[in-house]
Amino acid sequence: MTMILGVPAAVLFGQLLLGLINGAFYAMLSLGLAVIFGMMNIVNFAHGAQYMLGAMTAWLLLTYLGIGYWWALLLVPLMVGASGLLLERFVLRRLYRLDHLYGMLLTFGLALVLQGLLTNAFGSSGQPYSIPAELMGGRNLGFMFLPNYRAWVIAASLLVCLTTWYVIERTRLGAYLRAATENPMLVQAFGIRVPRMIMLTYGAGVGLAALAGVLAAPVYQVGPTMGADLIIVVFAVVVIGGMGSIMGSIVTGFLVGLIEGLTKAFYPELSSTVVFVVMAVVLMVRPAGLFGSKPEQAQNHRQVLDGASTSPRTQTIQFLVMAALFAAAPLVVYPGFMMKAMLFALFACAFNLIAGYGKLVSFGHAMFLGTAGYVSGHAAKSWGLTPELAVLAGTAAAALLGLASGWLAIRRSGIYFAMVTLAFAQMIYFVALQAPFTGGEDGLQAIPRGHLFGLIDLSRPANLYGFVLAIFLGGFYLIMRVVGSPFGLVLRGISDHETRAQSLGLETERFKLVAFTLSAALSGLAGATKAITSQIATLVDVHWSMSGEVLLMTFLGGVGTLFGPVVGAFVVVAMQNYLAALGQWVIVLHGTIFVLCVLIFRRGIVGEASLLLRRWSARPAAAAHPAAALTPHRQPAGH
Amino acid sequence: MDAGHALQAKSLSREFGGFFAVRDVDFTLHRGSIQAVIGPNGAGKSTLFNLLTKHIAPSSGEIFHEGDDVTGLSMPALAKRGVVRSFQISAVFASLTVRQNLELALLRPAGSAWDLLGRVTGKRAIAERADALLERFELGECAESLAGNLSYGRKRVLELATTLALEPRVLLLDEPMAGLGREDIGRVTDLIREVGEGRTILLVEHNMKVVADLADRITVMVRGRILAEGPYDEVSARADVVAAYTGQGHD
Repeated sequence: MTMILGVPAAVLFGQLLLGLINGAFYAMLSLGLAVIFGMMNIVNFAHGAQYMLGAMTAWLLLTYLGIGYWWALLLVPLMVGASGLLLERFVLRRLYRLDHLYGMLLTFGLALVLQGLLTNAFGSSGQPYSIPAELMGGRNLGFMFLPNYRAWVIAASLLVCLTTWYVIERTRLGAYLRAATENPMLVQAFGIRVPRMIMLTYGAGVGLAALAGVLAAPVYQVGPTMGADLIIVVFAVVVIGGMGSIMGSIVTGFLVGLIEGLTKAFYPELSSTVVFVVMAVVLMVRPAGLFGSKPEQAQNHRQVLDGASTSPRTQTIQFLVMAALFAAAPLVVYPGFMMKAMLFALFACAFNLIAGYGKLVSFGHAMFLGTAGYVSGHAAKSWGLTPELAVLAGTAAAALLGLASGWLAIRRSGIYFAMVTLAFAQMIYFVALQAPFTGGEDGLQAIPRGHLFGLIDLSRPANLYGFVLAIFLGGFYLIMRVVGSPFGLVLRGISDHETRAQSLGLETERFKLVAFTLSAALSGLAGATKAITSQIATLVDVHWSMSGEVLLMTFLGGVGTLFGPVVGAFVVVAMQNYLAALGQWVIVLHGTIFVLCVLIFRRGIVGEASLLLRRWSARPAAAAHPAAALTPHRQPAGH
Repeated sequence: MDAGHALQAKSLSREFGGFFAVRDVDFTLHRGSIQAVIGPNGAGKSTLFNLLTKHIAPSSGEIFHEGDDVTGLSMPALAKRGVVRSFQISAVFASLTVRQNLELALLRPAGSAWDLLGRVTGKRAIAERADALLERFELGECAESLAGNLSYGRKRVLELATTLALEPRVLLLDEPMAGLGREDIGRVTDLIREVGEGRTILLVEHNMKVVADLADRITVMVRGRILAEGPYDEVSARADVVAAYTGQGHD
């Protein structure tokens, strides 16, 4: 048998073929993402779910209606594409004048809804979809065996990709599309109906994802979760390629697939993380991506939300009231619930520090929560550290991870920042899945609570509650002070207008990095304490759905408000606790809340409430000075 | 290099995909003067400006500040040396109040920008400086309004005040009159002349009356190169300058 660098040739070619197949799907999906982003400035997070919907629809057609593969190849893209048209027309169209992150949040919510609904209906396990009779079997190429279906997938995807490229770059229709991307007003003035064109583009992008889904059905297991993990890898591909060109997306997709295949042949342990490593390297040497980025369009119509600045004294009073309430809460509320909610509240507040005040919305904050949990759990269990030292170790680990990932991630902003953080978190997830000390699928169990400072026994409920309360209040107070500090003001200034801040002599990258690291450390503080309190550390805390949950808590409660994340965390944790019987419906509910938050409730609970309160209290003044109603009043400073 | 020059560019070029927006430009900003760069649209004025302030990096050439080579410095580093710019599209921190805009500018010179736990309102020196600026620029009555809600003219005034908060020695103003009404133009012209005392100012401006009023020297740019340079009366009378303007539309 021929060996190549210690690997049997058949194995190597087999893995390369598998890599090409994966690459074909990366290419088709990242192509669709790039087309949609180019046209609408929306990162279509639902792209993975729409791919899954394509595969599921094909499976449904076959199972319930007896409609086979070849018809599905034609019908499914049309059906799913049509759902995309409706989605654009009635939902996404409302978002075009908002920050691009809202599009990503909304489509993330939609992905959750789709995934939850289909899991409810068909279970989460994968269903087999058989290869059509015409493509059964394969041929022996001498150096390897090539199954016919796989050859077909590669050929078909290449055809689809190149056709798309041709239409966009070489036809009149494509010229209109590209022109509308540059200047929609002008193209509209030429008599072309740009809104309809955008709608059709989105529909076509979605149809492309569904087509990929049908092609994938016989290769992978067909199931509701098949799109979620794939889309994260595709985001990494998009960051590597840069979404600057159509051909760039195609080439990068296949390239990444091949790199994965090679890694699987020579060093299989790294195969699931290699994409993210490549992304990190690209961010270091060529931050805009291999083929250049399409810059995010400037937000000319950005709406100024109210500053809602309360005086330091009011804040301190509010803080003390909260402290008293939480200290007394165990008298009426189950302490276990309170502790869980407080730790998630701290996590959400830490996230809000960077997302709300720094406008750097991370989609990967679970990596800090989870890593700190593992480290503190390991420190307490295997090294026998006292709980405060174990928590410290976890926090330090999260801070280090924050420094490293932040150093790379802040090279990009906006939606790219979101995708980069999501991808890094996925890498950490795979590391946690494989690393020896995390316990893999089982996680760390029976972590000892131990004695605080070697003295206070944390296995006593009152002591434990006090410990968690102190950590939450300490962390919250720190965040409150940072937000109100000169540093906090600089951070808010940077998020408003970074270039202007630079022109005032502020090295904005350093400020962002420190804020990001601080946010990571405080997330870690929550995660480390959670591991000691709950005595377990599992993959749940590093999974992307946890990153989604902290987003949900923060946006539901009110991003950029001090107490919003606390309120949001309590609502979400309560929903999980009391609606646990609903199973997957909770995910559907989460997704729905996301969609509603973005569409009608952007200030969140606390933001909307304080606005109402201010409008109500400013009513008499508004009669005399109409402008006064819009601007919050503040005590004159210092005198 | 001559230390008597506030800013100096030597064979400065910037290329965008084969197109030279600025080509081989030698330019000197004399210390203590008010100078203006004029030229038809697309002449490379804004690019030159962005190069001098390190908003974009040059493709080739060198930039000197008071005799030191600053070609490799970042915009913040240049600002720390006292070279501060304003922007064409008024750049204020929209979600901060007018007072906070000024405080933010004052933090770094006061050494407080990295204070993570203190209170902005507790810094007396900053509050006093902010008050003085609010008064001088007649922004007192909207001190607590969000900058994003100000009228366009007020935003430009606030931006000038924020820039001045840094006590810059060299001030670069990118079309300070763009979008302003006649009344505001008069006010801002007076303000610029007033703050020009003891400072070096470079402005890119389309309004010729403003340029004639303010500038000691003007530089005319056409197609990425410098066409003429000198006192306003002398340069504006030159036939080739007039041709460059009338031949390519008025400004």
